[in-house]
Amino acid sequence: MAGARDVKRRIRSVENTRQITRTMELVATSKLKRATDRVRAARPYSEALSAIVSSLHAPEYAEALPVLRQPERIRRAAVLLMTANRGLAGAFNANLIREGRQLLERLRADGVEVDLHLAGRKGLAYFRFRGEAIASSRIDISDDPTVGDAEGLSGSLREAFEAGGIDAVYLISSEFRSAMSTPPRMLQLLPLQPSEGALSAGAFILSPSAVGVLRDLIPLYLRNMVYRALVENAAAEQGARRTAMKNATDNAGDMIEHLTRTYNRARQAQITQEIAEIVGGAEGVG
Amino acid sequence: MSRLTVKVVTPERVLFEGEAASLVAPAWDGKVGVLPSHAPFLTLLGEGEVDVDLVDGGSARHPVSGGVLKVLADEVIVLTESGRPTSSD
Repeated sequence: MAGARDVKRRIRSVENTRQITRTMELVATSKLKRATDRVRAARPYSEALSAIVSSLHAPEYAEALPVLRQPERIRRAAVLLMTANRGLAGAFNANLIREGRQLLERLRADGVEVDLHLAGRKGLAYFRFRGEAIASSRIDISDDPTVGDAEGLSGSLREAFEAGGIDAVYLISSEFRSAMSTPPRMLQLLPLQPSEGALSAGAFILSPSAVGVLRDLIPLYLRNMVYRALVENAAAEQGARRTAMKNATDNAGDMIEHLTRTYNRARQAQITQEIAEIVGGAEGVG
Repeated sequence: MSRLTVKVVTPERVLFEGEAASLVAPAWDGKVGVLPSHAPFLTLLGEGEVDVDLVDGGSARHPVSGGVLKVLADEVIVLTESGRPTSSD
């Protein structure tokens, strides 16, 4: 029989674990709050800029602006996959990596060569272990991503697309719906989706010109798409971690309750046995 | 009297939001002024300060470098990368 002392030791160990998971839950909760504020604060710029760009750009500008080109066939594509730098966030990283792997398989099945760009230590560790060729990787992006981080990721991809080295850019990151719901999401950054042209050039006075405005705004737009993805991904990571740590803390509580019952039973059995022995001994003497 | 609704927005946050009588912004080719009932207008910005004349008489200045200014139906949106306010009155 597992002695009462062994059970006691296990209870203490689970209590220590619960202390750690509870602390991580609290840390994630406070980081989540700040990250959510950042997501919200980033929305107005992103929405206004997207509206302007999507309403202005038209396929006929592609001659003047290589960033607008619509390749007929995609021969080579870049995949930018964002993960967290740290684990212990439930299935957060695993979901992103799976989404990335599926996209790689899909593209390769269509005969597309893929450049893999990774942001986040977890994705890097996985694809390095799998022996994938990695075109670039970043593991220095903090919980508080900056526009500069986004430029570092988007700038070179845009240039490669303009030069014709790649024909498409895909972005995989987590969508931040709520702390409980952070599904992975795939976005096509380039080529830009042809717009409906709601805001025709005729309706606005454009300075210097539609092409001139787009030449400046499209790089900002692409960078902002990446920036938003970084900010949302950071918030989603904290949300996923909080959920995972809350579950772990609850499970530890259940386990302690169960072990405490086992401990009490073991202790009671020990006492009963001791009494039985004493009574038996007394009878022997008497 | 008609007024302008002005927003100055950076990728990180909304810097300024309020009612204004007019504003002057540094467009890429020189300063432009915007008054209520302006025609729909979209221009790239250069370096300088967006100077907003508030309805209560004060003014707000925001340095900008690059970005875009959009005017539509008395709503002015300034999208810019940098824009720390320098003074409030």
